[in-house]
Amino acid sequence: MQTNEPQDLEQIRKTLKEMIVKDLSLEDIKPEDISDDEILFGEGLGLDSLDAVEIVVLLQRNFGLEVKDMNKGKEIFYSIDTLANYVYENTKGRT
Amino acid sequence: MTKQIDFVKKRGNKPGFWFFKTSLKVFGLSGAYGLLYIVCLYYLLFDRSAVSSSMAYIKRRFKTYNIFQKIYCIYQLFINQGKHLIDRFYIISGLGEFDMELQGYDRIRSLLSDSKKGAILLTAHVGNWQVTMTALKRLDKSVYLLMSPEENKAVKNALDIDSDQGQVRIISTDDFLSGAVEVIKAIDEGNLVSVMGDRSEGYDSSEVYFLGEKAQFPYGAFSIAAAAQCPVIVLLSAKISPKKYMADITRIIFPRYSSRDKKHEDIRQWVQEYAGILEDYVTKYPLQWFIFRDIWI
Repeated sequence: MQTNEPQDLEQIRKTLKEMIVKDLSLEDIKPEDISDDEILFGEGLGLDSLDAVEIVVLLQRNFGLEVKDMNKGKEIFYSIDTLANYVYENTKGRT
Repeated sequence: MTKQIDFVKKRGNKPGFWFFKTSLKVFGLSGAYGLLYIVCLYYLLFDRSAVSSSMAYIKRRFKTYNIFQKIYCIYQLFINQGKHLIDRFYIISGLGEFDMELQGYDRIRSLLSDSKKGAILLTAHVGNWQVTMTALKRLDKSVYLLMSPEENKAVKNALDIDSDQGQVRIISTDDFLSGAVEVIKAIDEGNLVSVMGDRSEGYDSSEVYFLGEKAQFPYGAFSIAAAAQCPVIVLLSAKISPKKYMADITRIIFPRYSSRDKKHEDIRQWVQEYAGILEDYVTKYPLQWFIFRDIWI
């Protein structure tokens, strides 16, 4: 399955996992421990509203992206997959 | 970061603002102040929600006062707020100016010149921001004001908010995420963002001690500052004589999380520090805090 996906998307997932583990100071969790479809907030990875603000900053500073709509934010921040798709869709074509 | 919508009665309408503007032009500052005593008496007698929300603060600030003294304090609070609004018109209309004493300027100037980032100005419903903004011009930074969308257009227009000539720009908090994005962007560009820290207005808040009892204060400013890694400068202003205001920017908080497990505790401590600073303020200027909300639990 993954072979048909653009290489960039896989790379984005890896970068996001590394960023989340490092910048949100997730202890005892390695980037590779986070599965692509794991729910990031609440029962999943256990992130909360304070982490959401930090993810907003990470997306802004690392990818130049702005998630301005709360409802869209909930969908985008659902999992690494949804987050990576958002980053991919909004950065492709950039030079 | 959900927001609960609370119904808050709007006061102030177009004819009302016109009345005070005209009175100011015709009778001058003292004459317009004089009319307030009648108007505020009306609110004291007939606006129960304004009186009860003010009483929540007054009864905790003036614990030993009897009921009549407390009601008189509320009356003075209404009059003081009216005077502050009239002072704003006075400045906007170009009828005159107020002297301004800016405390803590040198330290803030040096803090901002050492960094490319801006800062959050954490303020409260005190003093007169129209006067304060004029004083902050000295810092040579653009100032953004984070606020709920002003549904009452009469207030917005009367106070010259967000017009081409206005000195401040508005960042809407209708949606927390969009507010946070805009605030962080403004800070990264080296600007100042003014945030009200005393009314939660349905946004996430921390429970801290204020005037001896537990109260709720919003923590959005601190979560954004911790994420953006910028300082929070507490800005409180007060009228200290008939033609003079002061703005105090001497207190600075540098929000950095100590560890992931203690994020919420860190936030609570920063909010408590802010509440302590505000408590010092209301000790000194008890009738210039226009909170008009029951923030106690």
